[in-house]
Order: sequence, then C-alpha cells, then structure tokens
Amino acid sequence: MKKITPFLLISFLALLISPVMAAEPIKIGAFYSLSGPAAAIGTPTKLVTEMVVEKINKEGGINGRPIELVLGDTESEPTKAVMVAKKFINVDKVAAIIGPDRTDLGMAVKKMIEEAEIPTFMTVGGDPVIMGGGPLGTFKWVFKSPQRSSVAVEKLYGYLQKQNLKKVALITASDGFGKDGKGWLDKLASKFGLTIVADESFNPKDTDMTAQLTKIAAATPDAIVCWTIGPAGAIVAKNVKQLNLKSPLFQCHGLPDPKYIELAGPASEGNMMPSTKLMAWEALPDTDPQKKVIKDFVTLYNDAYKINKQFPINTHSGYAWDAIYIVANAMKKAGTDPAKLRDAIEQTKGYVGISGIYNLTPEDHNGLGVDSMILVRIEDGKWKLVQ
Amino acid sequence: MSSETQLAQFIISGITTGSIYALIALGFCIIHNATGIVNFAQVDFVSLGGLMMYTLLLSLGLPLILSFALAVLTVTAVGALVERLAIRPARSRAVIVLIFITIGASIFMRGGFKVLWGKNQMALPHFSGESPLVILGAAVLPQSLWILFITLAVVGLLHFFFSRTRIGKAIRATSYNPRAAALMGVNVNRMILFSFALSGALGAVAGIIIVPITTLSYEIGVMLGLKGFAAAVLGGYGNSIGAVIGGLLLGVLESLGAGLISSTYKDVMAFAILVTVLFVKPSGLLGYGDSERR
Repeated sequence: MKKITPFLLISFLALLISPVMAAEPIKIGAFYSLSGPAAAIGTPTKLVTEMVVEKINKEGGINGRPIELVLGDTESEPTKAVMVAKKFINVDKVAAIIGPDRTDLGMAVKKMIEEAEIPTFMTVGGDPVIMGGGPLGTFKWVFKSPQRSSVAVEKLYGYLQKQNLKKVALITASDGFGKDGKGWLDKLASKFGLTIVADESFNPKDTDMTAQLTKIAAATPDAIVCWTIGPAGAIVAKNVKQLNLKSPLFQCHGLPDPKYIELAGPASEGNMMPSTKLMAWEALPDTDPQKKVIKDFVTLYNDAYKINKQFPINTHSGYAWDAIYIVANAMKKAGTDPAKLRDAIEQTKGYVGISGIYNLTPEDHNGLGVDSMILVRIEDGKWKLVQ
Repeated sequence: MSSETQLAQFIISGITTGSIYALIALGFCIIHNATGIVNFAQVDFVSLGGLMMYTLLLSLGLPLILSFALAVLTVTAVGALVERLAIRPARSRAVIVLIFITIGASIFMRGGFKVLWGKNQMALPHFSGESPLVILGAAVLPQSLWILFITLAVVGLLHFFFSRTRIGKAIRATSYNPRAAALMGVNVNRMILFSFALSGALGAVAGIIIVPITTLSYEIGVMLGLKGFAAAVLGGYGNSIGAVIGGLLLGVLESLGAGLISSTYKDVMAFAILVTVLFVKPSGLLGYGDSERR
C-alpha cells in the first residue's frame, strides 16, 4: 500500500492536469508603442493585454487551450511596426494579432496583414484601417475596437446642434489621426447644420498654437473643436486660456484622460469631449448593461493589478480588453483556422464590452454606434457626464 | 481683434517659440566651440534638466530656487561624466568617432530616463503664474518672458566667457588646434571636460525653464532638438549670437507663416527658408566658415 499510494496520487494528479498540459497553447501576437512618443498610450495597453489574457487563461483558456501572448514594440514608428508584424506572421506564426495602437502604424501594416490573411484586431483611433477602396485597399482581415472617428464627430456635432452652436472653428493635428478627424469634421458639418468658419492645423510636436488660435479668434466661432492626441491638446487648451477666447473648447475622443487635466491645469476647466463610458461609469444608470462589465474591469485594473498607480484609467484603457475578448470568443466558436476565425469575429453580435456593445458586420469592422459614447465635461478637475 | 493686434500676437508668439529654439541651439554651440563636434546628447541634457526639476520641486517639495540650482548642478555633473566616461576613453580626436559616441550616450541616457521617470507626460508649474500679460494687445505668458530674458542673459554671459576670460579663450584655442593649444600650455582634456559640464548646465537651464510651457516627458529634448538644431545651423553653427538670431527668426517666420498664409505649410516654410539661407550662405547667417570661429 505504501508503495502504491504515491503512484496513485501522481497518476491521479496527472489525470487532472493532463488535459490542460497536453493542450497546445494558441499564440496571439500583440504589438503596441512601448517606446517613442506614443509610449504613454501603448504601455498601459500592453499591461491590460497581459491582464485580460491571464484572466482568460485562468477561466479555462480557449476551450481548454491557453493563450500564449507574443509581445512586440512598435517604438511608435511605422517601419518598426512592419518588422514586428512580419515576425508575428513568419516566425511566431500567430493565430491572431492585436494592435497596433496608432493610425499611422495601423496603415503601415494593413496591406501586409491583408496579404498574410491573419485576423487582426487593432486599437487605433483613425478609421482608414477599416475603410476600403482606392489607395486604402481592402479591410477583410482588419478590425478595430475604438469607436470610429466619424462616430465621435457625430456625437460631438449632435451636441453642438442641440446647443445651437452653429459656427465651428477647427484646429487639427497634421498627423494621420488629426487628418482623419479633420476629414470627418469637414464632411459631417453640413449634416448637422454647422458652418466651419476657420480651419487651422498644427504639428503635434509644436509647443505653441497661439498663432493659429489668433486667426480662429478673428472668425468669432461659437465653438472651437480641436482634434489631436497627446500633450498638444493640453497646449491648445492653455493657449485658448492665454488668449482669453470665450468660445467653448471641444476636444476629440482621444483625450479623456486624467493626464489631460494634469497637463492643462486650470485651463482644462469647462472643456468638453466625447468619451467612452469608462470615464464616468459611476454616473451611468444601473440598467446600463455595460456598467457591471466596466465595474469588474475597473476593480481588476485598480485593485488587483494596480496599473492605475502608474497609468490612471483613461478612455483608451478598455480597447485592448474588448479586442482580445472578441477574438477569444470567436476562437471558442470557430477554432484557429484563419478564415473561420475571421468569419466568426465578423459575426460578433451583442458583445457587451468596456467601450460599448459591439455588433460587427462585413461592412462595419468596428461595430460601435453613437450610443456607445458619452459627452464629458471637466468640472473642478473631475470628469462629469453631460446629460 | 484688429489686424495690428493680430500681427503683434503672431510676432510675440513667434518670439516665444523662437526663444525656446534659441536656448536649445545655444547648447549645441558650446561643445562645438570646444571640440568641433555635434553633441547629440545635448537634447538629453535638456530632458534631464526638466526631469530633475520635476523630482526636486514636486516629488521632494524643495523650494524653486534650490531645486533650480540642484537640477543644474546634477546635469552639469552628468555632462562632465559623459566626457570622462565616454568621450575621453575613446582617445580619438576624429570628429566622426566622437559624434557617434555622443549618439550612443544619448540613447543610453534616454533609456535610463525612461526607466527612472517612466513614459508618462508630466507638468511643471510656471515660475510666476499663468495669467497672461498684455503687450501691444497681444497676450504673452510670464514664463515666455522668463525664457526670453534668460536666453539673452545666457548669450551675453557666453559671449563674455568665450571672448574675455582665459578659460573661454583656451576652450576656443582647443577647438581651433588642440595640438598648438597644448604646446601653449593649455590642458586640452580639461578644456573639453569644462565645455561638456558647461553644456550640461546650459541644457539643464533650458529644460527647466522650457518645460512649464511644453510639458515634460523623458524625451522632450529630442522633440525640440530638431528645431533647435535647425536654428543653430541657420544662425551659423557654433556662433552663440547666431544661434539666438537663428532661433528667434525660425520662430517668428513659423508663426507669421501660420498666421498670415496657412498653418498647413508652417513647417514647410520654416525649413524652406533654412534651405535657402544655407544655399546662399552655407556657413549660416553669422557663420565664418572654417577659417575663424567666434
């Protein structure tokens, strides 16, 4: 008996573990800007990615198979992003790709991904990655989790129309994200009965936008709309205050972030912007199906992983979570065959995520509508839901 | 807003940005005056100045003046260390070798900053409030005046240092002909050490007074470095008065271009002017070519 007990114990244990042990992991590649100018966006996205993959694996993985994460750094540069994507496709042979996190980088790898036929869920802000035709090519294999720029513009313009702020001045960044936003701001203005009275741009690395804002002041707009991410947005807010412009300042959906208030200081007071529900989730009614999902996410982010110590929750925090969950859910249904996985992702309906309730279609590789966004205003250094 | 007030605002905005470029450009000049090389680590001295100020002023809560002094001292020491640990052991006077070493030092320092201070954006308070002053109808931040006056004071001191003091003259002699300078009793190694320490100090001053306006990150200096470098080249590389003129000119032209023509082509216009000037006068506005250096 003495000799048999350990043997039995071991074989029993082996029996218990073996289904997990034997299951081959599924490789998912994830690449973000871990260094370079976008590092402050890419690094927390990577931390959330690790958090959600650990959660999925703890809950039994993909039908018993764990997810193996292969990470890459785009260094905020298109050429590096292409190199990492190549490695994912040719060396790691990943089943799906998450990222990158900037519009320019997404566009740099889009064609290669379409040719390699790997389902890819990006966390970029700009729309061209999921638009087709002409120089944009196809978007069969590419999806993205953040709201389209056009959706954010519609949310913002809807508010302006309701408040009867008809004359709009634009000040947009000259990078891919800013240009994408400007395109939609121009295109959708007439639909909401708005007139664009000034149209200025700036380099996101610029340190002073008073020249552009002086020109804007001369056009006496009812509202100023700024479209950029990063510190440039805070500089615009400070310059508006410096020139004592009375028109309210609206920022894009990329800026709701405690950092923005820290950088812009008192100049941020009264600024408004479209945002995901994450920025004011406590003010949501309990009937909102997203509220519970967001609460779980915030608890995990703040209390279990303590990512908020370095990166307080911002509007971007949930994008990687949603991207990975949609891909993982599709894998549970369809396995890892690229074509079947892609179809399953495209058929995602009613997935309740952090950033909204996703309903994807072959035409809409994002799946979020205007109702997924809220408008927030900064009051006393806090984010307040605008009803 | 009348068109005169607008014009005043464009010019004052340009001077604000231009004085930032000028201050960065000055840092490039000092090392050039001593060694004839381009010091790519200069931009990281700027970042470090801002980062140290952030730690001393906000994390440790020291008074402004003390934080300023300690931050400048630290970066001065780092500048000297770069010379002792990276430049001198190379035992080379070949310009290309030394330039590559400064690139290496720059990448090394930036990696260190990223680990020590993280990748987030940070903000520093303005020295004397953020209520804008109105000059000729144009709004200007007190911090911009600080930058402008400190830049002018620094260029005055540098000019005095390089043309009137023994050490300053010795540094210029070292740059012009190290061998002859050594034969005249100049301690060449020490002069190069001095100039690295001095450029560290200047970079720190630039970083400390600029970041309240630009916001701070571990690579803020790199962001501003390109324009600062362009300003130095425009003014005549190595000439400290030229650096200030180059910086202010670049800033004002950018601002006027953005305000009067189109903000879409702002950078294009600034660099087109740079290229034109270099085409007509390759040594820059106040450059003297290879024969003489001020």
